[in-house]
Amino acid sequence: MQPVMDPDLDDAVFVDRPWVVLVWNDPVNLMSYVTYVFQKLFGFSLEKATELMLDVHEKGRAVVASCGREEAEMHVFRLHEHSLWATMEHDGPSS
Amino acid sequence: MALRRRFVAPVEAVRGGWRITLDDEERKLLIRLIGELRALLTGPEDNELLRRLFPVAYPEDEEKEAEYQRLMREELVASRLAAIESVSRTIDPAGDRARQVLDEGETIAFMQSINAIRLVLGSMLGITDDESADDADSADSPEHNLYDFLSWLLEWTVRSLSPTT
Repeated sequence: MQPVMDPDLDDAVFVDRPWVVLVWNDPVNLMSYVTYVFQKLFGFSLEKATELMLDVHEKGRAVVASCGREEAEMHVFRLHEHSLWATMEHDGPSS
Repeated sequence: MALRRRFVAPVEAVRGGWRITLDDEERKLLIRLIGELRALLTGPEDNELLRRLFPVAYPEDEEKEAEYQRLMREELVASRLAAIESVSRTIDPAGDRARQVLDEGETIAFMQSINAIRLVLGSMLGITDDESADDADSADSPEHNLYDFLSWLLEWTVRSLSPTT
């Protein structure tokens, strides 16, 4: 099949870029609670979940998933159900 | 109201599930609070106290954010209300599941609802950063005591649910 050369090609590459799910630091959610939610929703080990929780707490945010848009939205929704401050954005430098 | 911290675990994993040990006064307090949460969730959407319960998914993309909220907000409200109904059944001394062993879903619903109330209370108390959180820790008012009580209850709930590996 011939590749279609059109001005939208860059957009296609853009679409293929994965999405990242970020969790941001907040002053209300307990550290133990955040660790538990990470274990429960993503199946992380206690060690991995604790490491991510500490990243959120100390660096202000952590990437908890990198995936397609639909899956990322599902993760964000489930994090919101647990009242964590989660957002999603395209991975890599934004154009 | 005496919101005592006791040596009896308020929430613990037991054979076949989880057990909540609270006295009637504490149960009634929680029932009143989740009633207030229900009223808040079914009231005006733009209430500032709800902000923490409905976080932004796309902070840098207004269009995608509007789409996300259009699709997901109602579902999130429904999910929170379902958790509240579960807590009513399991916590209310007159509820049909009161004083029985809870399953994991019911215990998680309890955890999510307690945390939602804490977040609303945190907004009311102006806890917006780590500094104001520290200030709140040392403050003494009925609202601060309530916040501490919910934090204590949540900590025990999380501990009882947490996998240890």
